[in-house]
Amino acid sequence: MRHWLSSALWFASPFAVLIVLWAVLIPYLDVNPRLFPHLTSVVEAGIEGIQDGTLIRHVGASLLRVAVGTVLALLIAIPLGVAMGVSPIVSGFLTPLFRFFSVLAGIAWIPIATLWFGYGFGAITFVIFNAVFFIVTYNTLLGVSTIPLQVRNAAASLGAGRWAMLTEVLLPGALPNIVTGIRTGLGFAWRGLIAAEMIATNVGLGYMLFVARDFYKTEVIVLGMIMIGVLWLLLDRLVLAPLERATIERWGMVQRT
Amino acid sequence: MKDLTIRNLSKTYFDPYAGTNVTAVHDVSLKVEQGEFVCIVGPSGCGKTTILNMIAGFIPHTGGEILVGGRPVKGPGPDRGVVFQSFALFPWRTVLENVAFGPKMRGVRKVEREKIAHEFLALAKLTEAAGRYPNELSGGMQQRVGVVRALANEPDVLLMDEPFASVDAQTRMTLQEELTRIWQEKRPTVIFITHDVAEAVFLANRVVALSKGRVLEEIDVDLPRPRSWDALNDDARFKELSGRVLQLVRSA
Repeated sequence: MRHWLSSALWFASPFAVLIVLWAVLIPYLDVNPRLFPHLTSVVEAGIEGIQDGTLIRHVGASLLRVAVGTVLALLIAIPLGVAMGVSPIVSGFLTPLFRFFSVLAGIAWIPIATLWFGYGFGAITFVIFNAVFFIVTYNTLLGVSTIPLQVRNAAASLGAGRWAMLTEVLLPGALPNIVTGIRTGLGFAWRGLIAAEMIATNVGLGYMLFVARDFYKTEVIVLGMIMIGVLWLLLDRLVLAPLERATIERWGMVQRT
Repeated sequence: MKDLTIRNLSKTYFDPYAGTNVTAVHDVSLKVEQGEFVCIVGPSGCGKTTILNMIAGFIPHTGGEILVGGRPVKGPGPDRGVVFQSFALFPWRTVLENVAFGPKMRGVRKVEREKIAHEFLALAKLTEAAGRYPNELSGGMQQRVGVVRALANEPDVLLMDEPFASVDAQTRMTLQEELTRIWQEKRPTVIFITHDVAEAVFLANRVVALSKGRVLEEIDVDLPRPRSWDALNDDARFKELSGRVLQLVRSA
């Protein structure tokens, strides 16, 4: 527990330095608030946003889109990746395709998404879906195909049928890659989300930032940027990293980073 | 436990590099009685692992037949337990769950299969390691798990593919002694593949010398049991038998 606390403090310390510099330097240099806000006005904007519910509404909309897009993507990507990974021919054939779509940035889908779904929830969720879907499918496929043949043979000679092979060997065997895929995919999805919200909606963190610019409300812009960063850190540190630790690091299938 | 009969077994495959058909196993016949311990010994590339993979059902044979308890082999199955050189444990399962895997596949209830697993772990002196994951164990301990995982499923035949080749020499000797002890206690039918002549003679009732995909000779090993390296290292009969097998394998 002490170790956890000290590492959390160590993690927070550079941010503390940055905040102190901000609080001291901006007033000292007398920076125009239209270019960069004071710390106090950002805090006030944050309190105000919570009190009148707008901040909650924007954050809620963004998180909901990420959650829906990600869950839908995982539900399809993992079974598909496993099915493809089982057959070396199918996986060899489809791998280049999935690699291509994995590196194709999520935002690149925005124009076509708005044509298909119109502005709003559908288009943005589609962008999230794509960011997660291709990477997770590709990683699942990779994970399944890297399970040693002997391990699959061992399961077969211990009496594992098709279903047991899937649930007892292929899925857990591919899990390190799947978790990596989810982490990378969500990273892309989060970036794509903000970009998409600037273009294709009227609610969400990205929208909040973009609209604030029109009114020179730099305190809202910076508040939004901080929220984007903090939410991602919380998601990664409190959900994804512990998930990785609890499973695959314990099994010795990846090295601690 | 049942007997194993191999009749005129052969394996021919197409070698894409040479552009021709290659015969890896040529007309091999072998009869292993119930409860017998047979070692197949030969140099790398003599076809011994191919034979084992065909018995296990991992690869199809192209000629002859393989019968376990009179029934022909079609693909892998729990009647033939396999111990791999690479251990092939499930890294995401604890030692206990690895050993309980076979019974679980047979539909044995959790309480019951864990009892079975604990019993077999005790047999290999692994009780302490039950809750650990394979990556937390040494190579020697991992292979102990590999052996009891196969045994806990009560196969008719136990197939062992150079199981001790990737552990250090001292550990290997201990594992060999333990294997003879476990074999005497459970009396499984065993086919053990190795390139190590001393290992083959130490473990087996019968050694089958193999070269270039053909059986050269079968040699009965009449050494008394229980066997230990302390007793056999300077044993005249052990040396004589090892010498004969070595000569066979080298002359071919």
